[in-house]
Amino acid sequence: MGNPAAGQKKLLDRERFLQITRQLYDSEHFAYLLVDHQWQVLEVSDNLVDYGFPLLVPGLLATDMVDFLVGLDATEAITLPFINSPDGKPIRVRLLPEAANTIVMVSDATEEFLGQQMLQQKANENQLLLETQDKLMRELKEAKALLEEKNSQLEEAARLQSSFISGLSHEFRTPLSSIIGYSNLLIAQPSLDADTLNNNLEVVQRSGKHLLSLVENLLDHGKYNSSEITLNPKSVNLVALFNEIAMMVAPLAAAKEIEFKSRSELDGDLTVFLDDSRLRQCLINLLGNAIKFTDIGMVSLAASWEDDQLTVKIKDTGPGISSEHLQQITKPFWQAPGTGKAGTGLGLTITEQIIELMGGSMSIDSQLEKGTEISFAITASRVEAELETNGGPVTDIDDGMRLLFAEDDEDIAALTCLLLEEQGVAVTHVGNGEQALAELNSQAFDLVLMDLHMPVMDGFTAAKKIRDDGNTIPLIIMSASSNSADQARAQQLGCDGYLVKPVDIQDLLAMGQQFLLNRGTEK
Amino acid sequence: MVGDFAVGKTSLTQKFVNNIFSEKYLTTIGVKIDSAMVGDTKLIVWDVAGRDAQSPINTHYLVGADGVILVGDGTRSNTVDALEKLWQTTTERTGEIPMVVALNKHDDPDWSISAGQQQHLQEQGWTVFHTSAKNGENVREMFEALTGLIS
Repeated sequence: MGNPAAGQKKLLDRERFLQITRQLYDSEHFAYLLVDHQWQVLEVSDNLVDYGFPLLVPGLLATDMVDFLVGLDATEAITLPFINSPDGKPIRVRLLPEAANTIVMVSDATEEFLGQQMLQQKANENQLLLETQDKLMRELKEAKALLEEKNSQLEEAARLQSSFISGLSHEFRTPLSSIIGYSNLLIAQPSLDADTLNNNLEVVQRSGKHLLSLVENLLDHGKYNSSEITLNPKSVNLVALFNEIAMMVAPLAAAKEIEFKSRSELDGDLTVFLDDSRLRQCLINLLGNAIKFTDIGMVSLAASWEDDQLTVKIKDTGPGISSEHLQQITKPFWQAPGTGKAGTGLGLTITEQIIELMGGSMSIDSQLEKGTEISFAITASRVEAELETNGGPVTDIDDGMRLLFAEDDEDIAALTCLLLEEQGVAVTHVGNGEQALAELNSQAFDLVLMDLHMPVMDGFTAAKKIRDDGNTIPLIIMSASSNSADQARAQQLGCDGYLVKPVDIQDLLAMGQQFLLNRGTEK
Repeated sequence: MVGDFAVGKTSLTQKFVNNIFSEKYLTTIGVKIDSAMVGDTKLIVWDVAGRDAQSPINTHYLVGADGVILVGDGTRSNTVDALEKLWQTTTERTGEIPMVVALNKHDDPDWSISAGQQQHLQEQGWTVFHTSAKNGENVREMFEALTGLIS
């Protein structure tokens, strides 16, 4: 048994101690909570509620009342420098574990919190500004790089344009000089011998066809970009087409004193269904290039047909193309620098586009100083002999054909009339649509051939009136406009055909024959 | 809620707990405690002050956590790149616990998470939410998904 007086004194000392401790906590802005290691409240300083804590009485579980204690280990010493008390006040919390209990010391951290928040806020905002600045600098650099690239592209485009214009000028002047020069010669010397006369006329014709192919390339480039290039397939004798091409380009090779070889593995009667004018355009472009760039040696053309596929190879012994330039060569307006050969830079572009449109593909194999081989293959269907009549030679159906021809250009009218009359067609020529309507009312015709752009009454108006009157006569438009909108309008007005000038008279007659045959069948 | 400063940890928490959003940026000092019910589960959210170049995460605040939301700012790719390191720091203190990733500010036109970053996060096997504290996109879904992983 202990001394009761001593025990009483010890109790008083402890109460005194706690009293002093509480006064100390109050004066130093501290509060405390004494818990056991299972968070059961043992003792609470009176001022704990001043720190935003709920009323905690001994026996309660502190973790039921104070969210931030949930999950903490009461046996682990830990300091939480800034935490919000249950009512949101900034406090500092320290867990001081002892052998059986843990003291949770709580102190007011408002002043320190506010000071640190001000500093941290500024530091973070500055850091955000720096990050934004870095980001803007990166975007600026990217924009600058993009602008430099665009600028470089614009400079390249300007260079290509300048080179294109000078090339175009040269390309046009050369055949024009031939046409004007030889025409002058023909006028000045009317009594030339037949061979010379023929030769001079062939030069004029060749130059004219070359000019036409240049114009077609230029127009097609614009059309391809707006997807306006269309194919008009028909029955074509391939051997005849390749012979014609060979005859057309052979003089160009001869003029440069290089050899031209044409090797065809095609059957003489091979007739296929394709757009011959587009194929011709591709062959002229490729052979024209090969001859232009080859100064020594030869250019060859080979064609073969197998499994409904036409394969064409064009080889030359020219300077060849570097692998770097091969990447560029089919880009519009691009021309290899330093060759000294003028051009439009459109021939290969258009050719590749047309071949793709025909469902084929073009490949270029070239070695510097050895030469170049360009090949392509297109698929077409073979036309059986009995179906060939549409594209076959003109027959006697032309004899006696009565054709009304409306055309305001006197030169074209005279030439067309001459060519048609040579084929036995009886042509009545008028200068505008109004006159055409008058003629149609006064006599009978088998076919109407109509220009579009004419004075007094244009071709569209005249065609509309003809159809509005109930007249079903075959009506073919012949115009310099290759615009697809014009072609669509003509079709909408009930015109049967549309031919773009210059018109091959055989094509015109074949079309006319076809319409007459169709009408005959319908009747 | 763990992530770099100014990624939107407090905004996501406030949107989830109180359904409020403020454009004004106010940095968190220490930790803010909030709670909300997800079904029958009371979720106590420790919104821990963001890490910055000068102050790493105070891992004392991570003690006792049952789950973590790693938050990155979809308009600041560096805060997304930092998530892997943050997760490593976190697990050193907490051990492997349930975690989801929030790529916040998905409403912002400056969103700049690259395909490579997105793929990298997925390769970690992490569940990633594109969130917006501003319009609430995926906020509740994300907290519910984490609660589901914890329960």
